[in-house]
Amino acid sequence: MATKTVTVASSVGLHARPASLFAQAAAKVGVPVTLTSAAGKSVNAASILGVLSLGIGHGEEVTLSAEGDGAEAALDSLADVLNTDLDKE
Amino acid sequence: MSDEESKPLHELLAEASINLDASATSRDDAIRQAGAGLIAAGSVDPAYVDAMIDRENSVSTFMGEGVAIPHGTLAAKDSVKSDALSMVRFPAGVDWDGNDVRLAFGIAAKGNGHIALLSQLASILMDPEKAEALRNATTTARVYELLTPDPEDE
Repeated sequence: MATKTVTVASSVGLHARPASLFAQAAAKVGVPVTLTSAAGKSVNAASILGVLSLGIGHGEEVTLSAEGDGAEAALDSLADVLNTDLDKE
Repeated sequence: MSDEESKPLHELLAEASINLDASATSRDDAIRQAGAGLIAAGSVDPAYVDAMIDRENSVSTFMGEGVAIPHGTLAAKDSVKSDALSMVRFPAGVDWDGNDVRLAFGIAAKGNGHIALLSQLASILMDPEKAEALRNATTTARVYELLTPDPEDE
């Protein structure tokens, strides 16, 4: 099991636009990825509804986890997405 | 959770902002109807509706489960007077950039209110049975019942 803890950089938090872009990215990495909030709630990272349901604000920490071939690379690429202020693009 | 608490969804959705039997000729028509519900509640200026379409052109607010949640851009926050939700049901569906949308929830929020609001709405829609019941709801009483959090889920 690979895990990575990331601080959400989006100035508006992980809501509609950043959440959509993140979930789309998670759906493409090839391994199932779990997103866990600091409060300990876990969802499928590829589910927009799941990501939104966590209600993650700017500067909050989240943990990504995945298993299997390519898990580390998948988490690295998704951490990059979370480290970017997606609402600025 | 976020630093700002949002009111419960059923308190943010005015009865005048619910249309359970609508039809739309296009995605933008559907967004304008969701926006009209927010205007009817006195929550936003008409300019907010244009921002909702701008946002949709930037990234789709289609969420799965036949549901879209159109809302304005960050730049349009000044057009928001109070947090509110609108609901428009399209029994015949709307072609939403290739997705079949049956329900549109218009969302307006000041400050960081949108995070808690979206979180509440997403938590309900994640339950496929509740999402289906909302898509099939024909009375406002049923909508309010479905949007009221189940105390056992807290």
